[in-house]
Amino acid sequence: MKDHEIEQWYSYYHEKFKIPKEYLRRDYEAELSGKNPMEAPLEIPDKMEIFFKYSLGQQSRFFRELRENKKIFGAKCIKCGKVYCPPRANCHLCYRQTEWVPLEGNGVIKACTVQYYTTSAFIKKVPFICAYVQLDGTDSLMMTNMEVEDVSRVKVGTRVKAVFREERTGSITDFYFRPVE
Amino acid sequence: MRKVAIVGMGTTKFKARWIDKTYYELAYDAAKMAMEDAGIGREEIGCAVYGIYNDFFQRQYQPDAFVHDYIGLGLKPMVRVNSGGATGGAALRIGYSEVASGLYDICLVLGVEKCNDCYNYEMGITTPEVLRAILYTADMTYDNPAGRTAASGFALAVIAHMEKYGNPTEEQMAKVSVKNHFNATKNPVAQSPQIITVEDVLKSRKIVEPFKFYDNCLYTEGSSAVILASERVARQITDKPVWISGLGASVDYVIPGNRPNIYTFESSRVAAKKAYDMAGIKDPIEELDLAELHDAFTGTEIMAYEDCFFCEEGDGGRLIDEGTVMPEGQLPVNLSGGLIGCGHAVGATGIMQTYEIALHLRGEAGERQQKNARRGLVQSIGGTLCTWTVCLVLEREDR
Ligand SMILES: [Zn+2]
Repeated sequence: MKDHEIEQWYSYYHEKFKIPKEYLRRDYEAELSGKNPMEAPLEIPDKMEIFFKYSLGQQSRFFRELRENKKIFGAKCIKCGKVYCPPRANCHLCYRQTEWVPLEGNGVIKACTVQYYTTSAFIKKVPFICAYVQLDGTDSLMMTNMEVEDVSRVKVGTRVKAVFREERTGSITDFYFRPVE
Repeated sequence: MRKVAIVGMGTTKFKARWIDKTYYELAYDAAKMAMEDAGIGREEIGCAVYGIYNDFFQRQYQPDAFVHDYIGLGLKPMVRVNSGGATGGAALRIGYSEVASGLYDICLVLGVEKCNDCYNYEMGITTPEVLRAILYTADMTYDNPAGRTAASGFALAVIAHMEKYGNPTEEQMAKVSVKNHFNATKNPVAQSPQIITVEDVLKSRKIVEPFKFYDNCLYTEGSSAVILASERVARQITDKPVWISGLGASVDYVIPGNRPNIYTFESSRVAAKKAYDMAGIKDPIEELDLAELHDAFTGTEIMAYEDCFFCEEGDGGRLIDEGTVMPEGQLPVNLSGGLIGCGHAVGATGIMQTYEIALHLRGEAGERQQKNARRGLVQSIGGTLCTWTVCLVLEREDR
């Protein structure tokens, strides 16, 4: 390619995917540095993306309570009394409906580990705690992450409480857990 | 049910990056090797099963359709299997059913995966983006926003096991890593052949408590294939059939809160039991000659010793300490190097493990050949805290 064509190629991907031009330049030059550049493997930037208007179905009330009222609700089976949180509209054991029950938002760590490496979406947050929390009054576990100053302080048995964020979107991340002092 | 044999097999090299091949080009290579090994052409294949895990990895939804076309099996039926890390094993199970049921006499089972096209431009590396693609297989509403990884799920289980039974210790896990990296030095297709020490493992950087860098498998690109045939066809085309004498599968609750505990992998116990019952195995450690267990992490290999009934529950650490699972031990585990040493090309992994056992049963494993190998076990697991398990027992003709 001519110089201005190469610049166009850099600009196209820079504008499309926000990839810094120097990265594109580095890859382009490396690609052509071999003996037989026309036969060398060509790597192109790409991204897979889809937009949603995702229905939360029968769990909608749970997320609406988080967003509107800063309240966590569980779902209790009308037959066996098992309380689910994350909630569900029916019991997988009894095949009967559940009903909403308000929870206090306190719980206990049932399993936990410390992540020092993770996905690109979270890597700037390491180290953080990855844990299963059982909320008081429930019979299930909730996956959560906890950013705490001293990761060694959080253990199985540590009591936690839910803290709601100022900005809530109707998502499970509308609250997070803090260890109870 | 009809008897089913492996009559042909092939695998590409397992490596971090096959920059010069697409996923369907890799699949072609493995399919060609398997057909040549079986001495048959594409025309003789009745149907196919493809094990392909993550559509993001391939940058393609329904990648099976393009593999099927590229390897020239048009107009034959095929089905794609996706069962997380157990995809390869699960594909073999469906392939077995195709032949055992009498629907087809010859079935190609092929796994392929090419993860390292995923790339994080900001960091200039692949792995965090690969992990991000994998995280789309965690529950999108409740788990994905927590930023966990496959490793952290399995770490939670290993920690729970340590708390209950006092093992595996970090040293025992390190010994598994040393073993599997060493075994890989004898395997020409392995991604990570290395002579390392327990100290090296313990000193390597932390990934997720209690796993250090060397406790984890790496992400791998590659393709593996086997050709399954009915007894009648197997007798016609090969004098060294490898029989699938046992097959078991189980899928646990994917939400671990619905399980009674997380310190054992119940799906593995159910699948292993079913496979042993079918093969008539009562005492696995005495009756098996070698095993390929799904060592995505060192700690889960040790849990697999227990879940495959090589020892009592809680006693897994002893088997690595006493050398039982070493190459010269009573029941060598992961002579291929396993996922840690040979690599984890997700959809291909269970098929690579099967290839490895079959190679030993045929007496063609070269430098790492297990003497007098007559019967072996493959364990293929995947999903959040081992949701899926598939176990296969393979036997040679004259066992
Ligand atoms: Zn119920």
